[in-house]
Amino acid sequence: MATRTTRQELQPSLVSPPVAGVASLLIPGLGQVLARQLQRGLLLLGALITSIGLFAWRVSLLASREVGAIAKLAKALDRRPAFVIPILASLIVLWLWIAWDAYQQARPDRRGGLGVFAFVLVLFFALGWQISEINLYKMVTELSDASGPLSRVVWPWAAAVTRDTEAVGAGADVLSPCDDQPPPPPPEEIPGQPYLVADPTCGDLATRDENLAEVLGTALALVGRGFAPNTETQILWADPIGNEFRMRKEGEYLVLQTDDEGAFEIEVTMPYRLIPPSSKGRQIHRIEARQTSEVGGLLPSDALRHNIEKMVETIVLGMMATIFGIVFAIPVSFLAARNLMSGSSVTMVLYFITRTILNIIRSIEPLIWAILAITVVGLGPFAGIIALTVHSIAALGKLYSESIESIDPGPIEAIQATGATRLQTIMYAVVPQMIPPFVSFSIYRWDVNVRMSTVIGLVGGGGIGFLLTQYIRLLDYRSAGIAVWFIAITVATLDYVSADIRQRFV
Amino acid sequence: MFEVKNLTKIYDDGTVALRDVSFEVADGEFLIIIGLSGSGKSTLLRCINRLIEPTEGQIVWDGVDITAAEPSQLRQIRRQIGMVFQLFNLVKRSTVLTNVLSGRLGYVNPWASLLHRFPAENREMARQALERVGIADQAHKRADELSGGQQQRVGIARALMQQPRMILADEPVASLDPVLAHSILEHLEQLNQEEEITILCSLHYLDLVQQYATRVIGLRDGEIVYRGTREDIRAMTDEEFKEIYGQEAVRVGVGLREGGME
Repeated sequence: MATRTTRQELQPSLVSPPVAGVASLLIPGLGQVLARQLQRGLLLLGALITSIGLFAWRVSLLASREVGAIAKLAKALDRRPAFVIPILASLIVLWLWIAWDAYQQARPDRRGGLGVFAFVLVLFFALGWQISEINLYKMVTELSDASGPLSRVVWPWAAAVTRDTEAVGAGADVLSPCDDQPPPPPPEEIPGQPYLVADPTCGDLATRDENLAEVLGTALALVGRGFAPNTETQILWADPIGNEFRMRKEGEYLVLQTDDEGAFEIEVTMPYRLIPPSSKGRQIHRIEARQTSEVGGLLPSDALRHNIEKMVETIVLGMMATIFGIVFAIPVSFLAARNLMSGSSVTMVLYFITRTILNIIRSIEPLIWAILAITVVGLGPFAGIIALTVHSIAALGKLYSESIESIDPGPIEAIQATGATRLQTIMYAVVPQMIPPFVSFSIYRWDVNVRMSTVIGLVGGGGIGFLLTQYIRLLDYRSAGIAVWFIAITVATLDYVSADIRQRFV
Repeated sequence: MFEVKNLTKIYDDGTVALRDVSFEVADGEFLIIIGLSGSGKSTLLRCINRLIEPTEGQIVWDGVDITAAEPSQLRQIRRQIGMVFQLFNLVKRSTVLTNVLSGRLGYVNPWASLLHRFPAENREMARQALERVGIADQAHKRADELSGGQQQRVGIARALMQQPRMILADEPVASLDPVLAHSILEHLEQLNQEEEITILCSLHYLDLVQQYATRVIGLRDGEIVYRGTREDIRAMTDEEFKEIYGQEAVRVGVGLREGGME
């Protein structure tokens, strides 16, 4: 732009080309200004200052503990040479290029080279790459680590079904710590029933010493008999108030296999349990061996049931928000229709106020409305309904009012001419014209609202999004995968259905 | 006897659409109003049933002053005046039958009509009206599925439902080709002759005017610049024609004039 205007005006440079070059070498852009290229000079100076500033910021982030610019640069160079060296070199190249550009611009046959601006863009792109922490290498190399969770999300149906389980087991009491009274006796063995005995039946739990190093608990020899043969068996520990947990050995859950007679022998150490100092009396713990087996037919799992419940809630949430939105948007749309409101200055003021409010409401995302609504009514689907309703009123109000504005006045005139009353005119000339756009927009909005309600749960507004975030935070990717599938199926179905219905009405 | 006395219409923006227009129409006449677009033809027709409120002047029909009528009285008057439009003004998404029945709205119980309930004799009447304009078989189609000529016949059928004593036709054939134009005007002429319905019709084409009019008035810039009988219009010269249509106008009907004279 600047080049074109100066070319047209044909204003010669104030200084000779070498002087302009040197001026820009000292203060970038000065040479261009002296060559009567004010915009170009300021633009290049601004670009250089911005990129130096961004570079300095990233360098200081890389070397936050160093003091002094040189030390920071050295540290940053040491830590991230692939970033620092090219950018530093580019900055120097840019500086020199600006000087060269000033020399070119000061020549009588000035040529408006755009190369320097292209170079600035490339430099900004490189800085932007660094600032936004783009890491394609990581994306590729760590894809394999993510393949487990991803494959569970993609095909989660193993978590959709479950079977009833039946547990058989036996336990033995263990006293901790040992005292001067006799420890609990081993349980009585009933032939044909599972039987577990621990030796000894009293001992110390694992603790930590003053250096927080683990001190192992007393070793217990466990002998089990009468279990199902060749079956996986779990060992559980229950503390005096009945809290159960699976025992671990070297970090892994302890799982053992019974032999052909259904017997096993294993040595375990007593686990680490925090017993409140105020607890009184003898602390009798219990160790159990348990075999669980699946019985009966397939049943829907909890994850599936919860997902179905929340999906229904999501669709209902979207539907309720749409209904409320329609009910409120219809009166609002009359206030926002120019052809109805252009009667007097009072109604025109009302029209502009309504339009402005609708525009503001519409420009705020439903997620933000949900957060605001949660502060009023608390977490849950009602907050989501409020958020989507508010947004729907604004969106539908605009769409409805535009369809009112585009109504054909001809039929109104024709019905009036038959001697019809006002109400008859509305019923016969206005309503038939309004129904198709109203139905179409309302169904479209229902579609949008259900889609929105799947994410409104992310901030606590109810619906399946709430469940989805919960599963992801619990690393339960299979259950999350069910939610993802449900969302995809619902949205796709609704998309198809709403397009189909709208086509029939228009 | 229908009289327009000193009718003036000035729009809110200051445009003078009609200036001191006076004329009389005897019962059973086929009066054609000619003039350029913007000359005030549409405004004049709409002032008669007060779709547009006149600024000054009177419209007196058999001694009743339409311009002074109260709303309920105005509806009584309107239902005796059928109206046919250039763009047909049908409710496009409603059926042909509903469009025709809506011509009866001024007579039926207003509350029942809101539920689209019409007496059985009205339905029979609608069938006859459609038969009369030759499209009885289209009754259950949507109005916008019909061709232009068919839509205008629905418009006439709707006007017939009012059992009108007068029909106002605002350029009823301007959107149609010449063959259809003749057939629509023949329908109007038939109503005029058989049922003695007074017809006020605005038209563009001189040859159509020459064929159908019993009397003609010409409007230019909201003023009456020409009054003529059927014989006058048949003998109309280019000078008179330019007087109405303006100096720059070319006589569009020249080539067809002989056809009209046959």
